[in-house]
Formats: sequence, structure tokens, C-alpha cells
Amino acid sequence: MDPLIRPGTIRLTKATVSFDDRFTLSEIDWTITPDQHWVITGTNGAGKSALAAALAGIGDITGGSIQGLPSNVGIVSFEAQAELIAQELKKDDADIMDVISLGTPVSEMIFDHCQDHQIASELVEKFGLTTLLDRAFRKLSTGETRKVMLIRALANKPDLLILDEPFDGLDVATLAMLQAHLASIIDTVPMVMVLNRFDEMPDFITHVAYLDKKSADNRKGKKTGDQGRLALTVDRQDEAAFNELYQLLHLKTTDLSVPEADPTHKLPALDPSQPLVKLTQATIQYGDTVIVDKLDWTIERGQHWQLSGPNGSGKTCVLSLITGDHPQCYTNDIFVFGFQRGNGESIWQIKQFIGYVSTNLQWEYRVSTSCKNVIISGFYDSIGMYTKPTDSQKKIADQWLALLGMTERADQPFNKLSYGDQRLLLIARAMVKHPPLLILDEPCLGLDEMNRQLVLALIEKICQGFETTVLYVNHHAEDQITGIEHYLGLEKNH
Amino acid sequence: MANYFNTLPLREQLAQLAQCRFMHSAEFADGVEALKGKKMVVIGCGAQGLNQGLNLRDSGLDVSYALRPEAIEQKRQSWKNASENGFVVGTYEELIPTADVVLNLTPDKQHTSVVTAVMPLMKKDACLSYSHGFNIVEEGMKVREDLTVIMVAPKCPGSEVRAEYVRGFGVPTLIAVHEANDPKGEGLALAKAYAVGTGGHKAGVLMSSFIAEVKSDLMGEQTILCGMLQTGSLLCFDKMIEEGIDAGYASRLIQFGWETVTEALKYGGVTNMLDRLSNPAKIKAFDLSEELKDIMRPLYNKHQDDIISGHFSHTMMEDWGNDDKNLLQWRADTAETNFEKTPAGDVEISEQEFFDNGILMVAMVKAGVELAFETMTAAGIVAESAYYESLHETPLIANTIARKKLYEMNATISDTAEYGCYLYNHACVPLLADFMKGIKSDVIGKGLSLDDNGVDNARLIEVNAALRSHPVEAVGSVLRGYMADMKKIV
Repeated sequence: MDPLIRPGTIRLTKATVSFDDRFTLSEIDWTITPDQHWVITGTNGAGKSALAAALAGIGDITGGSIQGLPSNVGIVSFEAQAELIAQELKKDDADIMDVISLGTPVSEMIFDHCQDHQIASELVEKFGLTTLLDRAFRKLSTGETRKVMLIRALANKPDLLILDEPFDGLDVATLAMLQAHLASIIDTVPMVMVLNRFDEMPDFITHVAYLDKKSADNRKGKKTGDQGRLALTVDRQDEAAFNELYQLLHLKTTDLSVPEADPTHKLPALDPSQPLVKLTQATIQYGDTVIVDKLDWTIERGQHWQLSGPNGSGKTCVLSLITGDHPQCYTNDIFVFGFQRGNGESIWQIKQFIGYVSTNLQWEYRVSTSCKNVIISGFYDSIGMYTKPTDSQKKIADQWLALLGMTERADQPFNKLSYGDQRLLLIARAMVKHPPLLILDEPCLGLDEMNRQLVLALIEKICQGFETTVLYVNHHAEDQITGIEHYLGLEKNH
Repeated sequence: MANYFNTLPLREQLAQLAQCRFMHSAEFADGVEALKGKKMVVIGCGAQGLNQGLNLRDSGLDVSYALRPEAIEQKRQSWKNASENGFVVGTYEELIPTADVVLNLTPDKQHTSVVTAVMPLMKKDACLSYSHGFNIVEEGMKVREDLTVIMVAPKCPGSEVRAEYVRGFGVPTLIAVHEANDPKGEGLALAKAYAVGTGGHKAGVLMSSFIAEVKSDLMGEQTILCGMLQTGSLLCFDKMIEEGIDAGYASRLIQFGWETVTEALKYGGVTNMLDRLSNPAKIKAFDLSEELKDIMRPLYNKHQDDIISGHFSHTMMEDWGNDDKNLLQWRADTAETNFEKTPAGDVEISEQEFFDNGILMVAMVKAGVELAFETMTAAGIVAESAYYESLHETPLIANTIARKKLYEMNATISDTAEYGCYLYNHACVPLLADFMKGIKSDVIGKGLSLDDNGVDNARLIEVNAALRSHPVEAVGSVLRGYMADMKKIV
């Protein structure tokens, strides 16, 4: 180990840990110093418990390394709890004599091999187990076995304490007691907790590790099972990052789904036999400079497209022909949402079918209006609100804010939000009316990793089971979104 | 041609002047229907022409541009504006005979020649639209009897007209029908549809008359909007230099000060602008403005009288006939003033400091707004009109000074406004000479710097009551209320 590293530091270096064939933690880079207390959180199935277990030496290390793991690790988890109970039941099965087995009594479970009898006794009393000491361990309720597990781990003077959902299944009084006890030992042992709920996080936690699922790599028919990766670590003192992580976790784990469209105001029906968009020999020219040259492009309903090309290749110009924002859409052969452009339709008749998000829109959205109004403005395709919203629109906006985890910020001014939060709201604004076409013009541009995760999580949520056709624009052809199968690459013409 | 207003009997003059009504949004329920499928031909492709055309086309209307042959042959800017935006461009002869509506969006000065050239080419029963009534009211242009004549005047620069439309909104707009030319009674329907096409109906539409529009517009722009700001800029700057204040600071305080103090005006009227001052400063500003009003009242009356009688337009048109000799000379003189020649210094002035150190500027704005409003309403113009042409537009003009000083203001406003602005300035500067002798840096440049902000209770109550009970405040709070309902961002 590097001599510069503090003694007691645990370091995972590109550690890949397999748990049967079913799950693999992939290439984890992570350092835990003795003065830190971590919470592991993340999406369902991303391997939170697996990572905690790996610190207890469980799983096969198939790549990279884990250094500095102490030998005396205390672990409390449902898996360990289940295992202990299974062992007890096995003792029962093993008993071939025709007498009723009493199983191991609680006192034995707690005090045999115990490092610190005094602490154990104190905790037994505090946790109200005194009257249960003679009872068989396997006769206890789930909550009671959990308490026994906790006492065993705490009284064992561990060098690392791993608590996987320690607060689950505890009554309020016990919960408070346990939290107080944990707070009293923070200077003696580093702790790693797995928590699904952010609001349960004790104040002494210093860092958060966020895991998410790695998209399965099924190339060459090779099946690798599910994989999890350590996506982000956040220092709790970084308040902004901490809040963003809270929001990300909320988006990833909430049961809330994308709110329905406004039942009181339906978009006009489109003819299903017609394409959404058809550009024929589309050309954009300024003076003698040709930006887009004779482009033919048809977007059928349900066909998700990615549009890519270098800066200046006219991506945004092509989009603005579709949205009606480019004045030359009147000199081109453009068919959109049943309208052959230039025949008396207004741009608002076109825009009602489109949800649109871009960096430019964000720059232009400089009005001092509330977060809630920004979402509602999507019903009107306006920047800012100029009409009184209906009750139905307000209700839908509230549902979107809840989905984004921004309910408390409903009335805050939009222009005071972080750049990433603004982007999230603008995506909600674009989707609020469930448009047949959603245009995402470089939706992650200018965002840091955390906000990129947030935006992608939201887009993923939106793409689940909707009839919205997505048009995704990116200047890197390789930067792809799952589910998009059609590509249009633009070249620079000038 | 004779001044149209002067041909009317007094009863009719008063009735026309008094026309102004804030329209209800339900009156625009038919949208652009009255113009649907009709051919709209715009003459002139400057800021108003281009941007109104873009909006009308995006509202589903058929828009093309008629330009003079030279503009097309030489591919002038107007030709580029129209053709690069994908509009059909043609000569008067090619396009006017096909037009159902001709939109005259050229400068005032060209109206007579443009309308004279266009009228014989227009088809029977078509419509001619103006965005300013000067040609009809002051020059007395007689339009063919079968033609409908309307006015649709967005109360903002062309670029704003477009920007607000794109956001899904619009700008406040004034519409009118020329009663002498409404043979089929369809003028109002066409004007409303046109206002919808530019997005104006979302921001509020005033139904006015050609006469009320011209007489109030001229009065506002000559006095408070442009004239008072120009005179105030020159006098305040010279005073600060005389008082030994750094020239760069003085230049910045004025250039950006008008914009800052009138921003408060925009949100909450004269009351709010004065409320931004400390109590002693407020009382000081109030006293100064009362004094200013007494001195300047005859000048405001003269401007209004000359506008009503047609004397103003008569002398200005003489200058048109004289190749704008006066206008060009006065423009050159303005460029030579100390304020114009001194760039704003690289000093930081906080928002509040513009108020604290610009007490005289606040007093001038208050005096100008109230006098213009009082004079207009005394002349029979209704309060709503007078409010829009005085208080409402002051911040818009102040913004232009913040951009590039008086040069920018005079370049942005019409030649008519600019001419009137200079007339006012030439009369007002000497008129205020004695008053300015008593002015020190405590009210312009440095602030009161008192040890104690104490004031007499009775006096403060008096001043506050006077501010709040002025009629411009009553109508202002109602109209701003309408606006705020529609546009939360003001």
C-alpha cells in the first residue's frame, strides 16, 4: 500500500466484484478514510448491498483490488440476518431426536464471543431485550432479531461497521436510541450505511456514494448479468451537490410516473397515415452561403431520430424549419403535422404539436416567473405566462414538480435556479402537453456529470411508454440514447 | 391639402380627441379571420415593416413587400431584409393592384409621396393602413372614397414587436379607423384582426381615433418623452461640471440615470419613483418639481396649442420642403453638446445611488409627466391616451439614452418627434436658466448627505397625499393593473 495513505484507509481500485453470475460490481474506484462515515445509496438493483457486502469480504474479486479491509468488520443486513436465522433453522432440522428443540437462546447469541460485555448489557437494556434473553433466537420477531444483530455488531468492537438499512423495521423509540448510540461512537469506528431514504441520513454522515445500474453489454451474445457502478461520490459539505444528489435519487427511485396530459384540453388529432414531418429538398441560404443543401427527410410517427453533425452544419437550422422559427420555412417544401407550410396556418398551430428544449431556449427564458409557471407555459408554447392558468393545468404542473422533487420550489423564481434545475424544468415544460414530437437539442450541453445524470434520468422516465416521437440532437454521433434507431448526419457545406 | 382636424367643427374635434378605450380581450375572439386569405402588401421594410410582416405571416396571413424599383435593383437593405426572410418582393406596379390591404410602414415624411403613388394602383374597396396618423390628420391626405383607412400602431420599437411575439406575447397597440374612409364599415374588424396578427391583442389594445393618436402622440414625444429628457440631460450635466463633479461620473449618472429612475416609474408610477428617495430627498424633489411645473407650464401649453392648431406641423413641413435644414442643423448641434461628447466614466453607480444623487432628474421626470398629462387632458384628450403618451412611454425612451445617449434617442424616434424635441429644448433651456442658478450638487451629483433624515410629519403627509392623488396615478394604476393581469413581467 502507498505509504502516503493514512493507516486504516480502505481503497478500492478498479475493483470488479462478482456475486454468482447474477450480479457484478464493475470497476469501483473508492477511498474510505478512517474519519469518514458514508452512506451508500442509488437506484434499485444497482448493487448498494453488494458494495456494502464487498467491504465485509463477500464476493469474488475478479478485477482490480481492494486494499486495507480490516479483519474485524461488523455487518448488519437483511442478508446476514436471513443467514443467521437459516443457520438456526438448520440446527432444528439437524435434530433427529424426537424432542422439541429450543434453539439458541438470545443471551448466547449476544454474549458468546462478545468483545465488550458492558456495552452489550447496556444495549440489551436500552433495546428492551432483557425479558427476551432466555427466549430462542428463532422465535423472535423480525424487529427483535434485528436488534440482536445490531447489539452483536456494536459490542464486537469492529474496525469497520457496515449497516445495511439499519433503521428498517425499528419502532420510533428504538430508532431514536440507535441513532443516539451511533452518534456516540463516531470517533471510534468508521461507518458505511446503505440507505434508500435520504431523510433517514444521520447528521454525522460525511460522504455519500451513489450507485447506478450499468447498461447491460450484450454484444456477441455474451450475457453478463446485471452490473452496478459507482457513479458519483459527494462530500456532504458541498451543499449544492448534496441537494442535486437528493433530487437525482428522488427521480430514480420515485414511484411517481410522468403526469398525464391535460384531460380538459386535447391536441387536435393527427392523421395516423401521414408522417409527422417531411422535408423535401430543404435548402437554407444566406446570400451566397448555403447552410443546408437539398435535404430530404421524413420522420414517421414513433421513429426516434438522432441528428448529429459538427458545429455549423445546420442542425439547429433544420430544427427551426420544423418548428417554424426559421423565416425560410416559407420558401421550402415542408409538411408538418398535416400542414403544408405557407398555406395560412399559424406557427402556434405548428408549435402545439412540438415540445422543444435547447440551450438557446434556456438563454431566452429570462423572464422572472415562478418554476410552476415555467411548466405551465408549456401548454401555451410561450416564454413566460400571459394568461391565467386553468385549475387542471396547475394540478398537472404540481405533479411534474413532485416528480422532479421540486415541490417546495414551486413559487421560487425560475431565474434564481441552478442551470441544471432550469434544464429539468424546461424538459418538463416541453413534455407537459404530451406532444407528438419532442425535440431535445443537445439537452445535456453545459451540464456537469450530476446534472447530466439528472437530465438523462428524466428523459428516460419520459420515454417510458409514451407515444412521443423523440428527435435527439447531438454533435457527437457516438453519444447515443437507448431506443434511437434512426440517424441523420449533417456535414458542413460551407 | 388642408389640415384635416381644422376642417372639422369643434364638436367633432372634441369628440375625436376624446376617443380612447381599453379593449376587452373578448373583442378579439375572431382572431385574424377578417384578414384570412387576403393579400397584405407592406410598403417599407425597415424595423416596423419587417417585424410586423414576420408576425403577420407567422399568424397565417399572406404578406409580401412592395419596394421602389431602385431599392430592388440596387439590392438595398430593405430588399435584403424582405428577400432573405423569404418574402415575395416586387414593385408597386406588380404588387399593389393585387393587394386587399396595403400597409404603409414608411416614415411620416414619405407618406404623401407614397400614398399618392400607391392610391391609383389600389384595387377598388381595398384597405390602406397606417401606423401613425400624421399624414391624414396634419397633412389632410384625402384618400379615395372606396378605400377603407385604418391605423394599427404598436407602441414599441419594431424589434420588440417581434421579440414579444416570438415569446407568445405582444406589445400594447393602438388601433383606429378613419371615419371619413370606412365605406363598408369593416375598418374596425380589419384593424382588430391586424392587431391580433402582430400579437398586440395579448398585451392590450386601445381603441382610439386618428386625431387623438396624432395630437397626443406629438404632445408626448415633444415634451416629456424626448424634449424633457434632452433638456434635463444637458442642464444637469453642465451643472455638475460647474459644481466640480468628475465629468465621467456626471456623464454616467445621466446616461443611465433616466433609465433607472423611470424603471421605478414603470412599475409604480410617479409615486413609486419618489418613494425610492429618502424622506428629505422626496420632499426636496417634490418642491423642485412644483417649481419646475410653474415655470414650464406655459411652454407645455404652447406645445399643445401649436399641435392642436396645426402650427407645429405646418412649420415642420416647411422644413421638410427646405430639405430638413433646421432638423439637420439641430441634430448636429446636439452632437456638439458637452454631455454628448463626454463618455460615461468607468465608475460603479449602484441602483439606489442613481436616485440619491439624481434628485433633480427625478423632479424633472415628475414635472414633465404630470405637466404633459395635465395639458393633454385639459385639451380634451382622455386620461388613458394621455397616460400612454406620457408616463407609459418615458421608460422606453430612457432606455435609448442608456444605449448611446441623445444620439441613440434621436436616431430611434421618428423625424417628427426629433423635430419637436429640438423645438422644446430650444425653448426650455433658456426658460430654466434662472432656476438652474439656484441648483447645487446636493440635488444633482452628490446627494443631500444629511446627518439626520428627519422630516416634519405634516409636510411628509402633505407631499405623499399630493403625489398619490394626482390623476395620472389614478388612471395609471388601473391601466398597469390590466397590463399586469396579462403580463406578469410588466
